[in-house]
Amino acid sequence: MVKSEVSQILHQIENGDQHAASQLLPLVYEELRRLASNKMAQEKQGHTLQPTALVHEAFVRLVSGEADGDDPHKWDGRGHFFAAAAESMRRILVESARRRNAQKRGGGMQRCEFTENDAILDHQDDATLLSLDDALTKLAAEDAELAKLVQLRYFTGLTIEETADVLGVSARTVKRHWTYARAWLRRAMDAEE
Amino acid sequence: MSRPSPRTVFLEALDQETADQRDAYLASVCGEDAELRASVESLLAAHERPANPLDQSPLTSPLDPTLVADLVGPSEHIGMTIGAYRLMEQIGEGGFGLVFVAQQDKPVRRKVALKIIKPGTGSQEVLARFDAERQAVAMMDHPNIARVFDAGVTKDARPYFVMELVRGEPITDFCDRHGLSLRDRLQLFQDVCAATHHAHQKGVVHRDLKPSNVMVTLHDDKPVVKVIDFGVAKAMGQNLTDATIYTRFYSMIGTPLYMSPEQAAMSGLDVDTRSDIYSLGVLLYELLTGTTPFDRKRLDSAGYDEMRRIIREEDPPKPSTRLTTIQSLNSPTVAEPRDDSTQAAEARARRESIPSDLDWIVMKAMEKDRNRRYESAAAMSADVRRFLSEEPIEARPPSRGYRLRKFAARNRAALLTGSLVAAALVVGTAVSLYQASVAIAERNEKEIALRDAISARQEVESFAERLKTANVLLGNARSYEDSQQYAAADSAYSEAVDLVPNYYLVWVQRAALRGRLHLWDEAADDFAAAMRLEAPIDSRQWEGAAAIFHLTDRTNDYRAIYSRLMEPPTENPPPLNFHSIRACLISPADVPDARRLAAEIESMLARSAGPPGGPWGPGSWGRPNRDRDFRRDGPDRGPRPLGPNGFDFNRPEPGDPPSAGPGFSGPEPGGGPRRPSFEDRVPQSVMQYVAAWASLRAGEEQKALEHLDAASNSRGPSGDMVHSLRAIALHRTGETEQATAEMRQADNALDKAISEAIESPDQRRPWIDLLEMIILHREATREVLGTDAELDPRLVAVQQSARDLLRL
Repeated sequence: MVKSEVSQILHQIENGDQHAASQLLPLVYEELRRLASNKMAQEKQGHTLQPTALVHEAFVRLVSGEADGDDPHKWDGRGHFFAAAAESMRRILVESARRRNAQKRGGGMQRCEFTENDAILDHQDDATLLSLDDALTKLAAEDAELAKLVQLRYFTGLTIEETADVLGVSARTVKRHWTYARAWLRRAMDAEE
Repeated sequence: MSRPSPRTVFLEALDQETADQRDAYLASVCGEDAELRASVESLLAAHERPANPLDQSPLTSPLDPTLVADLVGPSEHIGMTIGAYRLMEQIGEGGFGLVFVAQQDKPVRRKVALKIIKPGTGSQEVLARFDAERQAVAMMDHPNIARVFDAGVTKDARPYFVMELVRGEPITDFCDRHGLSLRDRLQLFQDVCAATHHAHQKGVVHRDLKPSNVMVTLHDDKPVVKVIDFGVAKAMGQNLTDATIYTRFYSMIGTPLYMSPEQAAMSGLDVDTRSDIYSLGVLLYELLTGTTPFDRKRLDSAGYDEMRRIIREEDPPKPSTRLTTIQSLNSPTVAEPRDDSTQAAEARARRESIPSDLDWIVMKAMEKDRNRRYESAAAMSADVRRFLSEEPIEARPPSRGYRLRKFAARNRAALLTGSLVAAALVVGTAVSLYQASVAIAERNEKEIALRDAISARQEVESFAERLKTANVLLGNARSYEDSQQYAAADSAYSEAVDLVPNYYLVWVQRAALRGRLHLWDEAADDFAAAMRLEAPIDSRQWEGAAAIFHLTDRTNDYRAIYSRLMEPPTENPPPLNFHSIRACLISPADVPDARRLAAEIESMLARSAGPPGGPWGPGSWGRPNRDRDFRRDGPDRGPRPLGPNGFDFNRPEPGDPPSAGPGFSGPEPGGGPRRPSFEDRVPQSVMQYVAAWASLRAGEEQKALEHLDAASNSRGPSGDMVHSLRAIALHRTGETEQATAEMRQADNALDKAISEAIESPDQRRPWIDLLEMIILHREATREVLGTDAELDPRLVAVQQSARDLLRL
């Protein structure tokens, strides 16, 4: 079952098996996709989806124990989980935005109905997200750790403290890095426009 | 010396207090290095730019459907042949299965409904379960159950069912649209029970009974119930294990509204016929009241765990407490009350109570403990029959011991919803009434004692019951308010007010909502009502009450709140808290009072000043403990909301310390341990502003001006509220020209604040700020310019539209 698989992998990573990390991503990716799909099935058209809420739901589902004494915040493997979740969420969102963009340009295979408002809103969001994705890729080339921090904060909604916890640095460091990365990415995005 | 990185220089530059200091710093570090300087400058510019996408949650629009949906779309099914059936048109879709209208040609020519699981969701387990279940499903034969004609497995191992095609509408829609009387509704419901009982006897559990699975069709103008999908849920492999059920949870059930607590618990406990009984209870509830026991929006917006908790722990309000338009046993109804937000007012006027026997029937079916439910659908149906023929029903009010346990559970629920006050009130009243009844009993005056005890108990029980319902309403109202559905929120608050008018909390909550919508008169009425109920008035929720009383010329009410704050009826009253001081400063009774207020705020200010280089001192990066403000720390250097930390303290926070209520003794005389104080979070500049106000009231204009300067110069929330006070102070010190100039700034600041309040009604800024600005601006206009300030017409318009919205 997915849950025990994920737990097992996280244990392996903790025990130094770096190979295990590569197995984590597809599992988490699939789980998030499935959760998103289920949400979509129950939501009406146009309903909004909260990616960061999704990640936390996946965390509860895949990692944190159901047993009462098992405090998820004490779980050592959570850093790996959130890193994988952030990466997955980014891929899912970016892929989604790309496809929608393609459809709007008429390249899609399926016709989709959009209301006028949808189109305007989505277009903006999609364009922004894609440009952020590009900028993030550039940042990763310059400073991979910084990009990882942004990815954690932005795509999983971790707070400063949680991010600090996961990365094993002080909250002050996270704040300073975030401030810098935030300005850096904005500058990069502006330059593209 | 090596060249510093742009990152280091950028962060250091941000730490500089003023623009000048920043320039000086950049010049000293970059020197001749134009490239470095340009890089840092561009970062700083990017930092300051508003609307950085990173400050928003990644995406709030729906994901692209082609990404998350399964790869084979419905379009690829149409025209496909499965067994002897040709798929024609898709009529339904869950996360799990697809439903089509299919054409059968042999042996008979007819249209059928074909339900097939989606590609990729099958497994060996599913197939095994399917084989076991299809036999059972085929055994069912009942006029109120849609027939299952056939079942099979496709070449790509996907199980499917072929069922009677029912052309009808969900039972709830049918009843509402045809305005069925209570009797007709109950008779249809009995047919649902009969169908369910038949299936249960064949060993088939539905697991997903809900209106969309209980269809009504017309046969010769006679409505006929058809339950569809019996046993299909289980046969199609839903509900396999805890792990899969979680993932498939939403898709399987679609909605948790009809789900039994044991299904919600997902404890691995076998789901049996009793879960269906629970769902029947929910269905009957909805047929009677037009609403589901738990609020749809609330369950939708609750997180997964919260949703499970609600279903497992909360008791829904009894049907009789809900609004209904079903007028009597036999007369048909006119309209359906499904949209409760808009029609609540009319519905209330036409309200007829649901007979309490039906309450018992519904609540027995919906017992959290499945052992306490009806033992069968037939037994439930029999009770409905007894009700219709006016015989005594089987479902009875539970025993005293049982009620006592329920009582404890209710209090726990109250605690969980954060309503400690409510709990204290219930317990306090219950205990004292119980003690009273015991004392009377001990006097051994048999009859009187017995009667008193019974009535006392009944009183407690009915009060507790209403209080419970009111708490649910308050919870609903708060979530409506959070989602900015103000009409619905107000209507829920009003319902709570009608239900427990002696409970101050309901008044205070409604007052806060109305105050937030600028409905000062209405809010003042509610605050006044709460005050007469001896509500504790030093809690945060009361902030704004005094200002509203003053602004609406309710002098007596203002005096009442003032004297209760200044002279609380306790010995050694504790020092006034921050917002009590603000409330009293609006109009102090005399100079000694004003001096006392000034002294209290001064000492508060001294306490909070802390060590040098404190919260907003130079050199510290951002502000400690303010991460939620963190993202807004960048570009926005404008005046901040004066509420501490932008925090809307008109509303209680979850986990707020309880306000003292009748059940509490209030603050410890002699000052117990100081609880983690709200004052600790008030920014210095706000304290300075209040201190200036107090100095002015105490006749110390010079000191007031000093405080005002401090409030303006601070980097923290300096506020646009200082101008009126400064104008008055200047005027009194003879600086007439400066005072007039300051008045113009006060005009502008007020104008801007009103625009902001109107443009973003959901501002996080506490509405007390605006009230104080208006009050002080009026005062200053009168004193400095000698004219009367009119109320801004825009506010009048906003008030009118808020009244229209709330139908006041």
